[in-house]
Amino acid sequence: MKTLVLGLGNPILTDDGVGVRVAEAVRTALATRGNRSPKAENGSVGNDQSIQLAEEAGVVGLPGGVSAFELAAFRFSEVDIQEISVGGLALMEAMIGYECVILVDAFEHPDVPPGMVHRMTLDDLRRVSPTQHSASPHDASLVTALELGQRMGLPLPPRITIYAIGVENVTDFSERLTPSVAAAVPVVTAAVLAELGLDIES
Amino acid sequence: MKRIAIDPITRLEGHGRIDIFLNDEGDVENTYLLIPELRGFERFSVGRPAEEMPRITNRICGVCPEAHHMASTKALDALFQVEPPSVTKKLRELFYSAFYVTDHTTHFFALGGPDFVLGPDAPAAQRNILGVVHKVGVEIGRQVIDTRMRNHHVIKMLGGRGVHPVAGLPGGWSKSITEEERHEIEQIARKNVDFALFSLKLFEDLVLGNPQYVELILSDTYVHRTYSMGMVDENNRVNFYDGLIRVVDLDGQEFVKYHPRDYGKHIAEHVEPWTYLKFPYLKQIGWKGFVDGKDSGVYCATPLSRLNAANGMATPHAREAYEKMYETLGSKRIGPDERYEPVHFRLATHWARLVELLYAAERMLELTIDPEITNPHVRAAVTATPTEGVGCVEAPRGTLTHHYWTDERGILTQVNLIVGTTNNYAPISMSIKKAAQTFIKKGSVITEGLLNRIEMAFRPYDPCMSCATHALPGEMPLDVAIYDAQGRLVDRVQRQG
Repeated sequence: MKTLVLGLGNPILTDDGVGVRVAEAVRTALATRGNRSPKAENGSVGNDQSIQLAEEAGVVGLPGGVSAFELAAFRFSEVDIQEISVGGLALMEAMIGYECVILVDAFEHPDVPPGMVHRMTLDDLRRVSPTQHSASPHDASLVTALELGQRMGLPLPPRITIYAIGVENVTDFSERLTPSVAAAVPVVTAAVLAELGLDIES
Repeated sequence: MKRIAIDPITRLEGHGRIDIFLNDEGDVENTYLLIPELRGFERFSVGRPAEEMPRITNRICGVCPEAHHMASTKALDALFQVEPPSVTKKLRELFYSAFYVTDHTTHFFALGGPDFVLGPDAPAAQRNILGVVHKVGVEIGRQVIDTRMRNHHVIKMLGGRGVHPVAGLPGGWSKSITEEERHEIEQIARKNVDFALFSLKLFEDLVLGNPQYVELILSDTYVHRTYSMGMVDENNRVNFYDGLIRVVDLDGQEFVKYHPRDYGKHIAEHVEPWTYLKFPYLKQIGWKGFVDGKDSGVYCATPLSRLNAANGMATPHAREAYEKMYETLGSKRIGPDERYEPVHFRLATHWARLVELLYAAERMLELTIDPEITNPHVRAAVTATPTEGVGCVEAPRGTLTHHYWTDERGILTQVNLIVGTTNNYAPISMSIKKAAQTFIKKGSVITEGLLNRIEMAFRPYDPCMSCATHALPGEMPLDVAIYDAQGRLVDRVQRQG
């Protein structure tokens, strides 16, 4: 399955860059194992440890009751990693040609403390933006952009998973994450690797 | 395992907030547009090598990284006192023209156009690019996406990366193009010209062909008479990449024309206690408040003001479109060079943007067929000791200036940026106030339609609130709060994107 891990955000705007940091960590992890899942290759479930770590760390919304059969669907023959700082149409365009996209981004919400992680689907995102109307000064929402792409018949991923990480500071320029957000990076990295069918250390 | 539902109220605080204050009679006394400020950029930059700035500043904003990359690269030319080879300037302008085609296309079809294609009173859920596709046809959407994608391909080819370009160097550009690449870009540019002509035709058919929309454009609610700013070439025609900054007054008389490095002599910044952002104004006139007129230092830097400040367009089809716009809107030719009187109908900015789209497409084509464009010698040697440099381009949202100071090793000691939207902060605030005063009267109920009328006042400026553009949910929510004369909150509409 051709897969894209997309770290979204500005790496020089404190916590805004958390998605980029996760993407970098996933890239490093994949580089050390040659972009393959050895355990998944011989038929066993390869991500128990990663899921367990993510669960213990309090990631909300992890897939429940995951079967070995379902995990087999997560065997990724090809994984690309990108870090970009765009939304809407450009974000949709970055997803063209992939069968699966894992999006990692900052999330600012009064009820979401810094470092808290939510795993969301596109339907969840739809509920966050229920009117699907763009009030952006520049672009459309991702949901609208994806609908447009589908109307155009573009090859868009049927599976989009979103990791939204609560942030503390997205207004000060800095390359350093705040401590609680930095602590979420290995957690989300493990969760993303789990999505890819990989153990954190395999 | 559990799954949580995200409460729809999110990212509202400090993002795109408009506060409206009423007087004792219940009419609008004042309005405030609060744009979140990103803090500490200078502190972040100082101590770094200046040549990193084109790659750092293109991260400031997810909307126009190409504009920051280009202004920064030009600031490095000035800082290191190096003149780029002729082909380098052409390659940069080619890259920049492809960016303009993409950006202006997106704005018109995704943001500005829906108000006219679907109507300002159309339900909010339909007033977007999907609504445009639904009304005008799938083919429109396909053309918009195709246009964006083929020009992103050019941006990547020339800029080294698809989103955050890396090709700019002091006195150079890291990428030359082969004949094969030139040929490919030429075909893309030809398609762009066709698309721009098609877009203008669509505007004529759907907007100018509808008396209600024409009335809307000409209505006093959306008029502001201020100075106009824009970059011009040696013939005083619009240029996005290089030239002098020209400011004309309300009647079209040239007020000043200056080299971008002299911006400090002509532009000052006013501070208000309710916002971190400053309000640039014309120094020679002075700050007289948020008011129109020749005695007010407020100026505008938008597609419309660029056309107002110039004598015309440098390419043939754009010239025709420019003349048609001014003739249709009733402007007279003035002065020895017979340029047009400025247009002050702010909704006409959408039309001006399409004229600029056509110019960018034609300029791109001109550059691709320039015999020099495949010259591989794209870098000049850097030998001087750096001290200070200013770089300036026209970003789609206004004149963009980067100013760097360094020590003798080229390590940054001071940084100043004036970004496109900042130029327009005062006029945007004035436009919001006027629209609010028109539509909110005693006893008004705040509705979605009212919100949109207010949004229509600022949408032509395409204001950039950069950090709101990419974090989830990926849109800028709008929060309108209305306070009575005693400062009590009497009504509030919070709308998700």
